[in-house]
Amino acid sequence: MKKVLITFLIILAYNTSQAQSDADVEIGVVEKLNQTIPMDARLVDENGDTVIIGDLIDKPTILNFVYFRCPGICSPLMDGLADVIDATDLELGKDYQALTISFDHREQTFLAVRKKNNYLNLMEKKEQAQTGWRFFTSDSADIARLTEATGFRFKPTGNDFIHAATLIIVDKNGKITRYMNGIYFLPFELKMTILDAAEGKAGPTINRVLQYCYSYDPQGQKYVMNITKVVGTLILIMGLTLFLVLVLVKRKKTA
Amino acid sequence: MAANGTDHAEYKSYLEEDGGRKGIFRWILSTDHKRIALLYLYSMMAWFIIGVTLGVLMKLELIAPGKTLIGPQAYNATFTVHGVIMIFLIVIPGLPAVFGNFMLPIQIGAKDVAFPRLNLFSWYIYVIGSILVIMSLFGNGAPDTGWTFYAPYSFKTGTNMLPAALGAFVLGFSSILTGLNFLVTIHRMRAPGMTWMKMPLFPWTIYGTAWIQLLATPIVGITLLMVAGERILGIGFFDPAKGGDPLLYQHLFWIYSHPAVYIMILPAMGAISEIIPTFTRKTIFGYRAIVLSTLAIAFVGYFVWGHHMFTAGMSGTALFTFSILTFLVAIPSAIKVFNWIATMHQGSISTEVPFLWAASFIFVFLIGGLTGLVLGALATNVHVHDTAFVVGHFHFIVFGGTGFAFFGALHYWFPKIYGRMYDKGWARTGWMIFFIGFIALYGPMFYLGITGMPRRYFDYLEEYHGPNIISSLGALVMVTGFVIILINLVRSAREGEKAPMNPWGGTNLEWQIPSPPPLENFEEIPVIEKATYKFD
Repeated sequence: MKKVLITFLIILAYNTSQAQSDADVEIGVVEKLNQTIPMDARLVDENGDTVIIGDLIDKPTILNFVYFRCPGICSPLMDGLADVIDATDLELGKDYQALTISFDHREQTFLAVRKKNNYLNLMEKKEQAQTGWRFFTSDSADIARLTEATGFRFKPTGNDFIHAATLIIVDKNGKITRYMNGIYFLPFELKMTILDAAEGKAGPTINRVLQYCYSYDPQGQKYVMNITKVVGTLILIMGLTLFLVLVLVKRKKTA
Repeated sequence: MAANGTDHAEYKSYLEEDGGRKGIFRWILSTDHKRIALLYLYSMMAWFIIGVTLGVLMKLELIAPGKTLIGPQAYNATFTVHGVIMIFLIVIPGLPAVFGNFMLPIQIGAKDVAFPRLNLFSWYIYVIGSILVIMSLFGNGAPDTGWTFYAPYSFKTGTNMLPAALGAFVLGFSSILTGLNFLVTIHRMRAPGMTWMKMPLFPWTIYGTAWIQLLATPIVGITLLMVAGERILGIGFFDPAKGGDPLLYQHLFWIYSHPAVYIMILPAMGAISEIIPTFTRKTIFGYRAIVLSTLAIAFVGYFVWGHHMFTAGMSGTALFTFSILTFLVAIPSAIKVFNWIATMHQGSISTEVPFLWAASFIFVFLIGGLTGLVLGALATNVHVHDTAFVVGHFHFIVFGGTGFAFFGALHYWFPKIYGRMYDKGWARTGWMIFFIGFIALYGPMFYLGITGMPRRYFDYLEEYHGPNIISSLGALVMVTGFVIILINLVRSAREGEKAPMNPWGGTNLEWQIPSPPPLENFEEIPVIEKATYKFD
């Protein structure tokens, strides 16, 4: 009994200390990889209709939290997102989608619409973005649930907020698969991230090859070429080809 | 067969056919597979003498505790360069490059290998690689990492690591190209009627080896490039401080270097499979079983590399799997030993010198193999890991296996290669002294290892003194035997009495052409009708 108690206390202490260190982050992003976002959270879309987030997420999805009146980092973040959507060869709305959610519960639908139109005008892929990149507002309770579940920590200062810039990628079940921090994104990184979130099931074969050759380096937070895997495969393919040629191709008659 | 006649007075042998070239160019520009084989033989012998000298130096250092001859740094350099020379310059290329080149085309009834120029080119690569390795001995300190170049030390040491690693890298290309050449030769150039199951066993083992050379060697090339990248550019593949993994190095290194052990031993087994039927006047027992076990060794040999790393910190599952696979690979090896012994059973054995080498090969290979099982078992491995036991084990396998088979093959095919017979009395004496020296040199290492003497130290505790004296004296005895063998062969190649076409009564094609063979081996490509190793 004593042992059980001690074990329990150790686990408890460990967990609280973990929680403590997470709680220490007042502003920023605490990564909650492999956890599921609340799929029943309600959002208000560009038409003023209330929707359930779980109904929207049916493919790899980029979530990003901003507020539309934001004078700071939100615009560069969304600029970066618009740029990378234009640059990638993935099709927005089909291979993946983007949901931009205001974390300021005071903001209304007309702000979301204005913001969306601003970005559509900037982009080359207007058609795709019209349906594939959606802008939402929500109530304070649902915002709190979503931001807490994704580890997105922000703090109000006067009329504005201090917050971080990140894209949160979830798969079609709402499980968080990746965070892309910063405001500049490489099309390659986006593609690999989306492919990972799609679990390699969707997309043409070349994508599967890409996923085979590259793996995610959690420490460097980027995709790196898996040199040993690639080279090993090449060697085996070469060996097999040689064997097949030797066995299948008839030898020439020599004088 | 045209070459089957008795009168060959009118032909010109490959040794006389100079292709209109003068002096050394008759050799270094010749694309004849037999001359290239001898080029390999001579260059290897030169490196072997250096390797042996370094080995003797170590044994002399270990004749007494404390510093007797060389200090710790020099000792580290000595065992490193000894290992690199012996492994990369001699035992890996050894039998394939010398006897594979010489005998493979003849045994399958071909005029040459598939790509004769590539063959000569491989030898040039070999020489360049060897020179790089030898160069590392000089300048600012010879490498001191051990022949395995383990990270992280290999990219931190201040010694001449790069020339040695670069040399091993270059040598890899020689190995790959030779393997490719042999594969195509065996697939494409067998004489009419020589089906796969009529092919002699030596070409079969060369075939298995060639696949390993082709598929495994690139891995060590890449690994050594990664070490170079680590040293020169500080990339951090293996440096934990930069997010690298030193264990990755060990995996990559052994993924090549364990199959390389089979590059060494398979052709050796092939040579033994040639010698034993000839000197017992019997068809080889279980031809198919030997062929299959050759392929099985070549295949399973790819999946056992982890047994070099039992104490390096792998998962329990990995340890268990590698241990099981290691035991599995012992099965085909044992099948071969049983087959050789069954071949001898009720045979008409003549104890000529090649047979003595083959019989002693089986003896030392057995000891090497069984001590290998001690190392392959997880529980015992922990105790003898990195002790003298390991050194004893792999010298029994690599030197006792490949080395004995090499000397056996040399004495077996010598009359064919040079057309002259060696002095059998001296050859026998040399073998006897060499064999006694060998057992005295490496035998005590098993005892030393079990009692706890670590490998790769220039010094040891007083309690290990006795066996070390035996070992060091054994080294001197063995070298004496080696010198006798060498002098006898060198002298006989020039002055020995003329050898007949088939001095041993062998059955394969090489014994049906004159000694030494003519430039293109066969006046007319033979047609094969009967199975191999059939004595009338």
